Amino acid sequence: MREWLKGTDRDETMTSTKTVLIVDDSRVSRMMARQYLNGLRAEWVIEEAATGEESLVKARHTTPDLILMDVNMPGMGGIAAAEQLRQEFPAVPISLLTANVQTATRERATAMGIGFVEKPITAARIAQLVATLEAA
Amino acid sequence: MLPTFTLSELENDALIEIFNIGVGHAAASMSAIVNEAVRMSVPSISFIPRVEAARLLGAGSGDSGPERICGVSQHYDGAFETEAILMFPEDKSLEIVRLMVGEAVPLKELTEMEQEAMCEIGNIMLNSCVGTLANIFQRELHGSLPQYHVGTSDQILSATAAGSQADTVVLMLHIDFLLEKHQIHGYVAFVLAISALHDLKDQINLYIARVMGQA
Repeated sequence: MREWLKGTDRDETMTSTKTVLIVDDSRVSRMMARQYLNGLRAEWVIEEAATGEESLVKARHTTPDLILMDVNMPGMGGIAAAEQLRQEFPAVPISLLTANVQTATRERATAMGIGFVEKPITAARIAQLVATLEAA
Repeated sequence: MLPTFTLSELENDALIEIFNIGVGHAAASMSAIVNEAVRMSVPSISFIPRVEAARLLGAGSGDSGPERICGVSQHYDGAFETEAILMFPEDKSLEIVRLMVGEAVPLKELTEMEQEAMCEIGNIMLNSCVGTLANIFQRELHGSLPQYHVGTSDQILSATAAGSQADTVVLMLHIDFLLEKHQIHGYVAFVLAISALHDLKDQINLYIARVMGQA
């Protein structure tokens, strides 16, 4: 199991229908992630946010099972948003989904206990996330 | 008169090798975006005035005047400061976006999101390249949000902060990306002011020292 998915007090009673929150200022990236997720799990609920600030609001209303977070966004940015979400929702897996492939960003994700997936968004990368989430 | 900037043979060799790796990663990202093979030429690196760089980028545009290009730029600072610019012929932009999002999106919607999609492609490719450079230099580079430009190569280079003066030295990394099936060429340029070139040179020498086991 991936380290970042080891939610210590994750609700084991949750149903197979999951909610995924995609946070990305790029509409195209949100659209592509949604398309791949829908193709794999049509029953899953997909929520979107275009900024870190919006992701906080959406997460409080939807309690997602997985949060995919871009890094380089206007406003508070993905790292700060992920830090806050990690505090508010410690059991919810978060993965960066970013073009920022720098070691420093990967290390930051590891230190925060969150995942890291490189862009571009591809069917294979989304399938890997889904498989990892379902195996957790 | 242009400020002088020189690299030793070893520094030049290391610079080409580092950018070769960086652009190789960018080409791999491009290939994943468009889902087809991307051929990449050997990078040629030169330090030339901005006007000369614009002329080189516009070369081959024929008698109809300078070719119109769409470009995505991002400003980076940290280990060194640079403006990274990805450029494609303007008339290929929609085709690239189509390759990215597939056939599912209707043309009208595709046209509406063309600019945004090109920004995301630039964001992915430039960060793939610059992120690799940062990893090799073992330093962090902080990037701005991507900016979209349309115009001639000279207009695009002028629109970037570092390239606004005609005598700015441009680290011209001239690479052909070729999407073989679609015959689409792309170019990458890095614009550095003279002080940034010295920072870059310092990073190259630190890298050489590490490779030689001296750091």
